Parts: sequence; C-alpha cells; structure tokens
Amino acid sequence: MATLARGVPVQRSLAHRLSAPRYLGYLLVLPAIVYVLALIGFPLVLGVWYSLTNTTVAQPGTFVGLKNFVDVAKDPTFILAVRNTLIIGIVATAAKITLSVALAFLMLGAFPGRGIMRILFVLPWTIPIALSTIAYKWMFISQYSVVNWMLIRIGLLSDPGINWLGTAVPAMAAVIFVSTWRAVPFGAITVLAGLTAIPTDVIEAARIDGAGWWARFTKVIVPIIAPILFIALLFDLIFTLTELTVVFILTGGGPVDQTQVLANYALQVGVNGTQLGQGAAIALYMLPVLLVLTIMSLRHIAKREGM
Amino acid sequence: MTHAQQGAWTRAVLMGIYVAITAFPFYWMFITAFKTNNDLYTLANNPLWFNELPTFGHIIYLFQNTRFSTWMLNSAIIGVCVVAITLVIATPAGYALARLDLPGANQMGIAIFATYLVPPSLLFIPLTRVVYFLGLNNTIWSLVVVLPTISIPFAVWLLMGFFKNVPREIEDAGLVDGCSRFQAVMQIVLPISKAGLAAAGMFAFAISLQAFLYPLVFTSSTSVKPVTLGVVTDLIRGDIYYWGELMAGALIAGLPVAILFNVFLDDFVEGITGGAFK
Repeated sequence: MATLARGVPVQRSLAHRLSAPRYLGYLLVLPAIVYVLALIGFPLVLGVWYSLTNTTVAQPGTFVGLKNFVDVAKDPTFILAVRNTLIIGIVATAAKITLSVALAFLMLGAFPGRGIMRILFVLPWTIPIALSTIAYKWMFISQYSVVNWMLIRIGLLSDPGINWLGTAVPAMAAVIFVSTWRAVPFGAITVLAGLTAIPTDVIEAARIDGAGWWARFTKVIVPIIAPILFIALLFDLIFTLTELTVVFILTGGGPVDQTQVLANYALQVGVNGTQLGQGAAIALYMLPVLLVLTIMSLRHIAKREGM
Repeated sequence: MTHAQQGAWTRAVLMGIYVAITAFPFYWMFITAFKTNNDLYTLANNPLWFNELPTFGHIIYLFQNTRFSTWMLNSAIIGVCVVAITLVIATPAGYALARLDLPGANQMGIAIFATYLVPPSLLFIPLTRVVYFLGLNNTIWSLVVVLPTISIPFAVWLLMGFFKNVPREIEDAGLVDGCSRFQAVMQIVLPISKAGLAAAGMFAFAISLQAFLYPLVFTSSTSVKPVTLGVVTDLIRGDIYYWGELMAGALIAGLPVAILFNVFLDDFVEGITGGAFK
C-alpha cells in the first residue's frame, strides 16, 4: 500500500485521525465556539474599545481614556437610570420569587379546572413581551385606562383615577407589575418541577416526626428546591437588570426619565443620539454587577455538575 | 365536604382569581380588536363589553392597509432560519461535549453557556457596527445571523444534558452491530433525544419571536421588520395610537406563539429542569 501514489497514506492517516473521537469532537464543537466568539466575544471587546473613545456613527473616534465613564457618572439622567434599574431589579425579583413559590404550591395538588387554568396561567410568559406590553399601555393610558375604570368601580380609587404612565411612582409600579406578570409563570413551573421531584415519603417522614408545615417547608422543601430557585433567581436578575422592552414601550423612560433604566438610556444615547462611545460606556456600567451574578451562577452550576 | 375536597376548591378559587387577573390583558386585546372605534373612544361606554356590534374592521385594515402580512412572513422566515442554524451548530457541539470524553468538555460547556448570560443590551451598540460592516444593516438577515447568539449557547447546554442521559449501552450496541458512530448517532441517539431537540428548537424559535432590542436597532424600514417590532412601531402615527389595529395585530401575532409554546411547554421545562440542572 505504501508503494502506491504518495498522497494515499497521508490521506488515510488524516481520515484515521478525523475518525478518532478526540479530533472529531473538537471539530464538532468548533462552529459553536466560532459563532460565539465572533458575535458575542468580539462585540464585547469592541464595545469596551468604543467606551474608551469618542466614536460616533459619523466618525471613527480616538482614544479618550475613561472620559466617557466620568462624563456619564455626572449625568443626572444616568443616576436616575442606575437607581431605577436597581429598584426594578430588586422589587420585581422579590415579587417574582414570592409569587412563583406560592403558585407552585397551589398547583402541586389536583383541583377542578387545573388543565385549562394551567394554559391560561402560562399565557403571560408565552406571548412576546413587546405585544403584551403594548396591551398594558392601552390598559394604563390616561383617559381611557380600563385599570382606572375598574378600580373606580370597585371603590379602590376615586374619580378620575391615577395617571399611571404620567406620574413617577405609578409608572415605576406599572413597569414592575408587567415585568413580574411576565416572569411568574416560568418561575412557578420551574419551582413546581422541583417540588414534584421531591419524594413524598421524605415529606411524610418529616410529618410523622412531628414537623409542622413551616418546619417542613423550611427544613425539608427549601433545601431541596433551593438550588433550582437560586439559579432561576440569578438568571432572572441578570435579565431584569438589562431588560428594556417593557420600559421602552410602556413609558419610554418617562415621565421625564423617572422610569429610565440603563439599557434604555444606552439605546437613547448610543443609537438614537449616535454617541456610540458614551452609549457603550453606559451599557458597560452594568458589567460589574453582571459579572458577579454570572460567576455566582456558573460556580453554582459547576458544583452541581460535580466539577 | 371532606378536608381534601375543601383544599381542592380553595386551590381552584385562589388560582382562578390569580388567572383572572393575569389573563385580563388577553381579554382586553381580544375585545379591543373587535370593537368599533366609536365604541372604543366613547368614555360613557362600559369598556369591558361590546356596546355596539363587533367589527372585523381593524383586522381587515391590518391586512389591507398595513404591512402586517409582510411582518408575519418576516418573523416566520427569521424563526425558521434561527431554529435551523441553532440546531445545526448546537447539536454536534452538545453531543461532542456530552459523549466524546473530550478533555475539558465540561469547562467548555460551561464557557459556552456563560455567553448566554451576556445580555443583548451589553452588545447591541457594537453589534450595530458589526451588522453594518457585514452589509446586513436593515435586512431580516441581520436578525438571522445575530439571534442565534442567544439560542446557541443555551441549546448547547440543554442538549448536553439530554445526550448525557442517553444510556451509553444503547449507543454502543449500535456500534457493535456495525453502525458507524455517525449512523449510531443519527439512528439511535437523536431519536431518543427528540424531546431535547424539540425543546432546543422551540427555544430558538421563541427567542427569535420574543426578540425586541435587536430588531429595533438593526431594522428600520417597514418592509423588513419582524411582526413584534412592526406592530408596536408602525401602527402608531406620531402621537396617535391605532388601538383597535394594535390589539388585533398583537392578538394575531401573539396567539399562535402562545399556543405553540403550550404544546412544547413540558418538553421545555423537562429540558431546563431535568436535562440541564439535574
């Protein structure tokens, strides 16, 4: 065989090497890695570079050091955006966890109409958020607000109701409500899956040992569902802190930036205002918090995967 | 009534109240979509019910006077392409990382998954320039290329979990029977993992339909927008919101997605809780 044309043995050894799982294995992973490096890794680095330059859409820009970060930090709208991002992140996440756990327990047992209620229950999570938020805008819109109409009818508000999207605190409440409304079904179903995985005899044993429901909840159930809840919480926090769809559609950051959040402000400055460098700097202010949350998530996952 | 029956009814009532509140926006979309403008904007009317005969006027307007059908088509094309790209790239990666005993496979899996946690709001500004340099600015292909960055990392992770759960003996039996590894994967491993593939594909589809920020910054012409963006930007003229058309559009675009999601929901939850985090 080796006396045949020169190329043949070389080809064969190449084919042999490729069929060996290790080379083949890395080859199979390569496209995913290339995709991720090209369209996540590279833009991330490019974004850091933009934030250190005075790049605009019109001009390439030169290096200005940390000027963008310093300028942005003195901007009152930026301060409002940081404050609101944190408030929305913390309040909405707390509400989501509480409701998700409570509803998961409600759905754990059988009850009449469970099937149809489950379908209705997950609707908020399944419909694209931009479309449901526009419905909320129509529900909250000043003159025609059906929310006001109903709250006045049942006596919770007096005429003419609240200007939901035009007043600072109600507008924040509306943003937090929509964000929570949307995320709870997924949270509840994730927790429910965790609860269903708990062997009933574990809980039964605790009951026989005389544990009350609170003790069973905190000593038996929480430790079992905590890992999944923790991951769901970290993920949700990452996405809530960086989300802009609800704010963009519902309030546009208004009234007068009272519901402004970092992602939306980065969009206004970086894209609408064409100041790529400053916009990138605003977005990058999210990075330290995200980095901490991401590392926490990954360490947790790695531990569960036994690494 | 027994204690257990009481408990069941209490659950039903509490769930009923919660669902009545959270499903209200869908009722509101529905009733607005079929009300005449006169009915919608007469403040003395009961907003919760029809005060005039229902109309198909808003839906007809949507299809005849706006680019709604183009937006739906754009979304369908983007969705199908994103699912295809995601599965073609993530399936081999997920299989190799789960099955081929690569040194550092788990770390690579986690590293790929970590990129899922890099949010679009951190990337969209530089990506507008990348999309521009690729010549994809203001085309649906910008979204076909960029949206898999969200779905691939998650799908790799999800599929890794699924492939790990396929018993090795089954695959080895195929190899012994004379299948090549490729045949063993195609004929044995993939069919067993179809719940995982369905979940990954469904996830990719949902991502492409849910996306808002990327469409917002990459597409500006009416004719290239996906439906979620078109509805909320192009049915508004200046300060005038066409609420009847807006709600009709949200309903028609949103409902199929919601139904599809419901069908795949159990696979999806299994993928997340059973496949990945077990």
